Amino acid sequence: MTKLKPFMDFTSKKLHLRIAFTLFLVVFLIALATGTGTAQENTEAAKTTEAAVEATTESEPEPEPEPYEVVDYRNFFGIDGRLIVWIIAELHLMFAAFVLAVPIFVVIIEMIGVKGGDIRFDNLAREFTKLLSAAFATTASLGGLLAFALYGLYPAFMRYMTDVFHPFMFIYALCFFGEVFCLYGYYYSWDLLSKTPKGKWIHISIGVMLNVFGTALMMLANSWATFMMAPGGINMDTGTVTSLYHAFYNFLWMPVNIHRIIANVAFGGFVVGAYAAVKFMGSKTDEERAHYDWMGYIGNFIGLGALIPLPFAGYYLGREVYSASPVMGNIMMGGAFSWTFIIQAILIGMLFIGGNYYLWNGMSRIKGAERYTPYIKYINIIIFFCFAVWLTPHNLPLSGEERALIGEQYHPFSKFFGVMAAKNAVVNLLILSTFFSFLLYRRANKGETKPFSSHGRGARITLIITAGLTVMYLAWYALGLRGIELDENIKQYVSPLITCLVIQIIAIVISLLLTFANKGKFAQAFLFAVTTVMAVMYFWYYGFVVMEKANLVLRYLSVTQVSIVLSCLIVNTIIDVFLFKDAKEVGGIQWGKIPHRSQYALLLLCVAIVTLMGLMGFIRSGLRMNWHIYGYMQDTSAGAFTPSIAYMGWMISLIVILFLALVAFVFWLAGLADKKKKHA
Amino acid sequence: MRSFLNSVMFTMAVLGFFVYVCTYVTNLSGGGGGGGATGVSPEAGEKIFWGEGQCHTCHSIGTSGSATRGPDQEGLASRAEERAKEAGFGSGLEYIVESIVNPSSHVVEGYDDIMPKVYDPPIMLGREKILAVLSYLQTLGGEPDIDAVTKLKEKIPEASKTKVVPWVPPIEVDPKEGELIFFDDTRDVTCSKCHVINGKGAKVGPDLTGIGAVQTPQYLIESVLKPSSVIVKGFETMYLMTNDGMAYNGLLVSQDEEEVVLMVDEDGVMEEYVFYPDEIAQMQKQDVSIMPGNLSEMLTTKEFYGIISFLLSQK
Repeated sequence: MTKLKPFMDFTSKKLHLRIAFTLFLVVFLIALATGTGTAQENTEAAKTTEAAVEATTESEPEPEPEPYEVVDYRNFFGIDGRLIVWIIAELHLMFAAFVLAVPIFVVIIEMIGVKGGDIRFDNLAREFTKLLSAAFATTASLGGLLAFALYGLYPAFMRYMTDVFHPFMFIYALCFFGEVFCLYGYYYSWDLLSKTPKGKWIHISIGVMLNVFGTALMMLANSWATFMMAPGGINMDTGTVTSLYHAFYNFLWMPVNIHRIIANVAFGGFVVGAYAAVKFMGSKTDEERAHYDWMGYIGNFIGLGALIPLPFAGYYLGREVYSASPVMGNIMMGGAFSWTFIIQAILIGMLFIGGNYYLWNGMSRIKGAERYTPYIKYINIIIFFCFAVWLTPHNLPLSGEERALIGEQYHPFSKFFGVMAAKNAVVNLLILSTFFSFLLYRRANKGETKPFSSHGRGARITLIITAGLTVMYLAWYALGLRGIELDENIKQYVSPLITCLVIQIIAIVISLLLTFANKGKFAQAFLFAVTTVMAVMYFWYYGFVVMEKANLVLRYLSVTQVSIVLSCLIVNTIIDVFLFKDAKEVGGIQWGKIPHRSQYALLLLCVAIVTLMGLMGFIRSGLRMNWHIYGYMQDTSAGAFTPSIAYMGWMISLIVILFLALVAFVFWLAGLADKKKKHA
Repeated sequence: MRSFLNSVMFTMAVLGFFVYVCTYVTNLSGGGGGGGATGVSPEAGEKIFWGEGQCHTCHSIGTSGSATRGPDQEGLASRAEERAKEAGFGSGLEYIVESIVNPSSHVVEGYDDIMPKVYDPPIMLGREKILAVLSYLQTLGGEPDIDAVTKLKEKIPEASKTKVVPWVPPIEVDPKEGELIFFDDTRDVTCSKCHVINGKGAKVGPDLTGIGAVQTPQYLIESVLKPSSVIVKGFETMYLMTNDGMAYNGLLVSQDEEEVVLMVDEDGVMEEYVFYPDEIAQMQKQDVSIMPGNLSEMLTTKEFYGIISFLLSQK
């Protein structure tokens, strides 16, 4: 069979080198434009002016040349500049989230492969990296385009940002090179360094460095975005930089860093899951189906794993937005953007429901899972209930007729589901249910377990250290609450929180002892029960009490609630690991035997998280209202208005379509090499 | 290829649902906005109240809105008339103007002193827009009177043009040093003996938690150097003379039919004194604050600006 030579070989090393060189040129030119380049331009302009003056004096008087006009805003061929920046920035952020997240779990998967000697993990890590290297060039190109769009369409704003952050822009460029070299080094040295164990660890080290550079890049760019929201280190009148450190390490920098790292991992996991789903549905052989089924499972596992702590990070970020600016906080939760959080709740609900649905479908390929399927309907009911409560707005408007019928402004029953106390309770219940669902999945094909004592001292020490650290944290927080200085009439409402923390500590110690006594399953159930009763049921009720009588205590209540739930998740996970270590298998997992419909759950997860990222980007950026830099530099362009939620919906949908289309195209390119190999 | 097309269709369906929800929510929340009245009119004021003025983030009006941070503004115009009489204003409108121009001057009982000055960043409402809001507020329990509103124009400051009110300490100071001084109880005068910040300190004077978010540097400087120029409501000094001729100056802690409790400064230590009605000869509010007026002599310049910087950092 004659092989046709492709017009362009997208997998060739030469092409990759060309792309790297082009990126180098782009960064170099931006650096020139922002630094010395501008000065050069001014010098040239001065020379030209001098020459023009000389020429004018020697010849006949000519009409006055048009004065140079300083422009603050431009549009893009008639389209509002903000629209263009919105689209490009979101696309860049989405690709960046993918290329920052994937290396995190690729290196972990590679390490699992090396430790366990399972080549499948190594192959999976390599396949992910192939997608990564294909997406990387697109991310960088979009980054360059974003920089050009910002400098071109918002010159005055970017002039100021450059003045403040130019030292960090060079560091950014250096980190970018570091990431480029590490990524290409990581990808192309795979075979070379896989020959010896030492080489493999060198390879993993390159992967770690790739993550270090990637995270540094993200954190650098985050500081610019958060500076716009909560500027620090500048004179708010003149704009003079008084402390570059505070401009960089501004109030919202760390909360956004934490939130973005976790969200990026969830994003990367779900995008990979969708890739696997599409490949699975198009697979021709059982082998392919098994591979992509497993890949989809890993993607979903990573996505859900990161999704569980995400609401906590989101709560922390929201609280810090309030602390940075009460006006901005009010706009977010009580003003123009409050309704967008209802839409956010729908999308997060989709993620939890989709993730759980996929896990339950996954149980059908595991023999022995039928023992647990009767429980699933109850978990279903709980999750839909949580979703409904989360969705209930506090200020659901009633018609005059309804008000007359009810006799008050809010519905006497449903109003309780709209307030923070109820929402916090169901978020924690949702997380506990999803975790429970995952535990069922894990034990689906596990039969008789070995006694805990048979796992040796290592298991005992690991469990003691984990539980000990968790207990220490809870005790530390309880002592902090005890020492807090509040009015006596308010402080009395803190005491129940301390009591709950102490009960949780006792519950952890009891479950530890039960596990040592070979009653691990009972220990898990006990800890789950205590946690649910306190963190969900009691705090749901007590949240209302606190909101009514001592609102100040609500923030301590939320942290206590989260701490109790997290402690349960951590201790139960470690118990579960040893409980089912070397347990008898009822039947193996039949990879590839999962129903087709489950793959649509993976697609749903991907579309939901991409849309969610678009929505949250809109909220975070929109909170500044008509300010470029909140409180210092106003946006006086024609586009400085907050669009309606419907308009935002259309725009984000367009961005999501563009992103998914680009991803599909890039992944298709990355897959060409495989096709070539098969044909050869 | 078929599976890919199915995936595309599924994706479009999910996005279609997302757009539908967004459109539905827009209709529900009435976020369409746009157009409408301008100038000084109740219609324009209503738009500003629910829009760029961001008043609705803290105030509701009857069943419209759900904010509870500030008082419900339903029936405001008639209520303002009563308050104007109590506070000595000529009309309810003047009382509302004063509440907007200087929000801390009349904080309604039961609410926190959190209202920002709307003509300052980040809200920065122009004078005409504030007048429009005033005319709208007049309609809440009363009739709008545009002429009366316009006459009060000069009482409303112009919005800061583009930038925040400037303040840079004249010397380099560290807010952390200011914090140490604030809580240093070894000094003759310790701020935390009378003020609370984030739960630390004593509640003799106003709580300064979050003060940097709601007050300007000028206000804080003035409050430290000239404590009597503006006395926060509820912290006025009370002069009390007993039947046997003893005079006391202190903060009124409580007052009812059975007793009057005053917090009196006894050589730097705040002590509570209880008086029974039959032993009180005279009692009246003073224009002088209980806060020491000689702090400028007791603090070095660096310490003074350090404290101001620390207070401004409390946001």
